[in-house]
Amino acid sequence: MTEAVTSPDPLAEMEQDKARAYNQGLTPLHPPQKSLIRLNIVILAAILIVAAIVVEFAIRNELPGIGGMIIGPVTAIMLFLIILLPGRIYRRWGYNMGDEQLRVLRGFMWRTDTIVPFNRIQHIDVAQGPFQRAFGLSTLIVHTAGTHNSIVTLPGLSTPDAEVMRDTIKGHIRQDMI
Amino acid sequence: MNDTPLTTATEESAADDSASFRRLHPLNIILKSVAAIGQNLIAMGVLYFSVFDQNIIYAGLAALALLAFIIGINALIWSRFTYHVGPKEIRIKSGLLSRNNRSIPFDRIQDVSLEQKLVSRILGLATVKLETGAGGSEDGKLDALALADAEALRDTVRDYKSGVAKNAAEQTEADIPETAERAPIFAMGNRRIFIAGLFNFSFVLLAILAAIAQNLDFLLPDEFFNPRYWLEQLSEQDVVNGLSFSAQVAGAIGALVSLIAIGSGSGVIRTFIREYGFRLDRADRGQPGFRRRRGLFTLTDMVMPIHRVQAAILKTGPIRQRFGWYHLKFQSLASDGSGESDHSAAPCAQMDEVDPILAETKISNVSPDLIFQRVDPALWWRDAVILTVILAVVSFGLGVTIHSGFYALILLTLPIIAVMFLNWRHHQYTLTPTQLFVRAGWWRRKLTIVPVRKIQTIDISQSPLDHPLDLASITVGIAGGSPIAPLRINAIPIPSATALRAKLV
Repeated sequence: MTEAVTSPDPLAEMEQDKARAYNQGLTPLHPPQKSLIRLNIVILAAILIVAAIVVEFAIRNELPGIGGMIIGPVTAIMLFLIILLPGRIYRRWGYNMGDEQLRVLRGFMWRTDTIVPFNRIQHIDVAQGPFQRAFGLSTLIVHTAGTHNSIVTLPGLSTPDAEVMRDTIKGHIRQDMI
Repeated sequence: MNDTPLTTATEESAADDSASFRRLHPLNIILKSVAAIGQNLIAMGVLYFSVFDQNIIYAGLAALALLAFIIGINALIWSRFTYHVGPKEIRIKSGLLSRNNRSIPFDRIQDVSLEQKLVSRILGLATVKLETGAGGSEDGKLDALALADAEALRDTVRDYKSGVAKNAAEQTEADIPETAERAPIFAMGNRRIFIAGLFNFSFVLLAILAAIAQNLDFLLPDEFFNPRYWLEQLSEQDVVNGLSFSAQVAGAIGALVSLIAIGSGSGVIRTFIREYGFRLDRADRGQPGFRRRRGLFTLTDMVMPIHRVQAAILKTGPIRQRFGWYHLKFQSLASDGSGESDHSAAPCAQMDEVDPILAETKISNVSPDLIFQRVDPALWWRDAVILTVILAVVSFGLGVTIHSGFYALILLTLPIIAVMFLNWRHHQYTLTPTQLFVRAGWWRRKLTIVPVRKIQTIDISQSPLDHPLDLASITVGIAGGSPIAPLRINAIPIPSATALRAKLV
């Protein structure tokens, strides 16, 4: 959150405004999640930069004056995204474990705020990918019987937190709701 | 009870409880084989003329071999398909090479339906379909049993309550009052089905007629689909020019009327085939539930427990509503056959007929003093602005580059915006302490009534277009229904969205 205070862009100012505040005072994700998002973007950027290099070398003979015209902008945009995007994405996630319900807030342009009452949950997963394991992170996935939005995903929890949440929710699962 | 032939019983010796497993009705071998032979008839014909060089003996031998093969395979499949109705679950073993052993707990069955196609009706067979709501299509299909066996199975599932499995003696005893049936909750006579059909306007018949015309076009004159041929014919007789303007208008109206007549006619036929003898009863034994019977050729008999009902849906249209007709559906995890996502409970009913059905489910209908709230008018004007801009650009671009007639495209905005406006006026919601009511659509009017305790999840979502106006949409997750078009309240201000959500969960 400290980044938002120091950076002078209007979006960050908007987030200071209580009515519009993203992550409206909800629990933020585990901080290493930011690094994981950055790692994912770095991987994507690496692929795109390699593609840009390939394209540039391929058309170099036909267009000799192109020197760096593709690699340059692509690299610049990617660097920009790597620096700026992870903090922004991270900040807009939030969750809240109420007494009776789980709330998950995510997204900026397309923003969604989901509430799942514990007693509607059918089963729970705690999932962990290889990169997540490296950062000590886990994803909590809850399944409801609803047809729309039956799977609610909450990534970027520290593994012990995710397990505690799972056990809390487990106590609320009821028999045969449907 | 067990009509397993001795020869195949030895094969099953691996499973010690195999004696309690039963087979489907043996007539299935013949039914399935007949269907398969029908499919292979053309192939045989082709072979007769090509490979066998019209030699009747070889072709006959090949046909016999094919026949034996088909019957053999079907008999094998039949012998490897067994089911067992236990006290708490039904188990189905199937598969020729890869065996599948499925267990469906009665607790998880959403509804049971018996289906009888025309041939099955003649032979006294019925297909039992069990739905658990997992994955969409029916999860257990027994195709087919003798009607009595199918009904017994249906009753076993219906009478089952978790913890209280009835014993056989009790069951046979309870079978007696079946004969003396009570009056149905809702039934449709032929006249009512006709009315339902009129509103069930469709162009399927037109499509079928067109397909027939295309396939039988060798009967038509060669030039039938050539417009010049008709123009020549007309100009020879000089019909149109000779006619007065009013006669031309009358001709156009006549064409329109005949189109509407064909549309309604096919609607009536389709409705009759599906809804003939529609009858909704209260299942008076076991769990409280609905029993619905309908069908002209294919008879279906479905039982659905009331506690499975997730929401009630009342559908109507501008003309239908004027005459007071509504289509009542119940949403549950299981889907109705024939591609409908909800269970049709009353295809064409007046409000005073709908109310008693709803009363059974403890869902209350709209009371006259209930005030509905409209959503933000941005719902229509925002789309109207976007549409106008796009159409203005397109019509201008095409008008300048191709033909000045394309400028007229901009006129399309008028009817479309009118529909957007009407849709906004008909998008309303309200909340009582126990139920959420959402109305949507002007042409296809749909009122969804959801008991608050059946709501699974709530989403408040904002698209980029919602941010500047501080609007949001609420999506209500309910079990069952269409995953593509969930229950949604569009374009309401964020404070009322959060307030509404706080009341819903």
